[in-house]
Amino acid sequence: MIRLGDVTYFYPRATTPALAGVTLEIPTGQFCAVIGANGAGKSTLCYTLAGFVPHFYRGKLSGGVEVAGVDVPASSLAQLAGHVGLVFANPFNQITGARFSVREEIAFGLENMGVPLEEMATRVEDILGFAGLRDLAERSPFALSGGQQQRLAIASVLVMRPPVIVLDEPTSQLDPIGSREVFAVLRDLAATDAATVVLAEQKLEWVAVFADRVIVLHEGRIVADGLPGDVLASADLAQYGLQPTRYTQAARAAQAAGFRADRDDLPVTLEEAVEFFR
Amino acid sequence: MSTSFSLYIPRESGMHRLHPLTKLALVAFCLVLGLFLPGVWLTYLAFMLLIVPLAAWAGVLPSFLRAVFKTALPVVISVFLVQGLFWPGGTPILHLGPLSLKQEGLQFAIRSAGRFITVVSSFLLLTFTTRPDGLMLALSQRGFPNSIAYIMLATMQIVPRFQTKANTILDAQRSRGLETEGNLLVRLRALLPLVQPLLLGSIIDIEERAIALEVRAFGRPGPKTSLLVLHDTPAQRVLRWLLLLAMLAVIGWRLYLAIAPRLAA
Repeated sequence: MIRLGDVTYFYPRATTPALAGVTLEIPTGQFCAVIGANGAGKSTLCYTLAGFVPHFYRGKLSGGVEVAGVDVPASSLAQLAGHVGLVFANPFNQITGARFSVREEIAFGLENMGVPLEEMATRVEDILGFAGLRDLAERSPFALSGGQQQRLAIASVLVMRPPVIVLDEPTSQLDPIGSREVFAVLRDLAATDAATVVLAEQKLEWVAVFADRVIVLHEGRIVADGLPGDVLASADLAQYGLQPTRYTQAARAAQAAGFRADRDDLPVTLEEAVEFFR
Repeated sequence: MSTSFSLYIPRESGMHRLHPLTKLALVAFCLVLGLFLPGVWLTYLAFMLLIVPLAAWAGVLPSFLRAVFKTALPVVISVFLVQGLFWPGGTPILHLGPLSLKQEGLQFAIRSAGRFITVVSSFLLLTFTTRPDGLMLALSQRGFPNSIAYIMLATMQIVPRFQTKANTILDAQRSRGLETEGNLLVRLRALLPLVQPLLLGSIIDIEERAIALEVRAFGRPGPKTSLLVLHDTPAQRVLRWLLLLAMLAVIGWRLYLAIAPRLAA
């Protein structure tokens, strides 16, 4: 369970808030996508959930942030490690550099938490399989492709079994193949229900496929919140600087030409589009 | 593409299987021999009878000797030239035109070269046969600060990345017409558009890596465990103590040799 109560946050020396009166509740096990244009506050929201706002970035935070039973502003980053997992855009910067193989890189977090050797070995092997990294286990983390490195970053966080996992545009610096690899892992993650997941993402077609819920941020405020089918097909998306999926766009163009003009449930995924145009 | 500065060569040798601290003690002993053995020739003896056999035992002898040769040769040559030919005063043993080879200079050069070779080869022996993370783990377990161990390990892997990035930026600026070849002034001027993005980019990188480390509980107090398991034996523990005593003995012997004439006088 994640609970934000009227959260407002200013970065140091900023005059406009990065988050403005955000109130939000995400139930345990939900896969929640956060969308919004650049600068809408997606990253700030991610950092707030993981405690880096305000503990790392300083600045001024008001309101309550509770993540899986822990009061985030009142806890230290060391206490939050293992409680909230954070994955961000740049795969290279998430590699510690202190370990020489993929397997050891994944184990790094568990080593720091003092997890006993046998349990650590089992958990690392499980995650290697889950993230599709078993064949790369002996490779240097720096000898991987971007998509592989990002899967490694996700695996390194998952292995710590945090009740909440926050991903801040994990595919924005990857090529299409790398993105596909990472989304495949995220889809498996959504299917397991092992954790509450918050995903900030610009690629709406993927969001439509596996999010349970979509939240739209605009200038630090929540402006829409609902089921992917409703939010992503909404006509308001454009005014928040977001482009609807190509399925919605195609359907809207077809409606403008008189095709199925009576329908108001526009498709947001490929399957829905196939059904719409059939 | 090299992913690390590490010179470690993986092998299944007895030397490789030694506990990192044992290897460290062995190398420290070689180092002490190199620095403190008296006379001109004893250091060469230590190199031939101790360091080379250890490298052979580790199964890395060819690459080890190549590395020692490549590192030591320039220094050894210059020491022989400078000290042999330009020793002030001294007994000339060979005349080369206006210059002459001096006996004292030659002796000094042989002694210095021996010390240099022993010291360099000791360090190379350690880096060739010891996993850097294993060594850092062994040191951390003995109370060495984790953050320093981290910096040493991360530097080995991240500096090569830094070079790659510098080259990328250089190519990018060149493709926009930046002149990077020519006289000193042109080259210096070319440095500025290279340094700015590199430094700013690196500061952002460091910030992100700091966050990533916190996420991975690096700042968490309390005992840490390790996936890498180091094997130690009672025999190795004894050996380490013996090596320490031997080092003290060599240093003591050297001090005695230095002081004895004065005591006698």
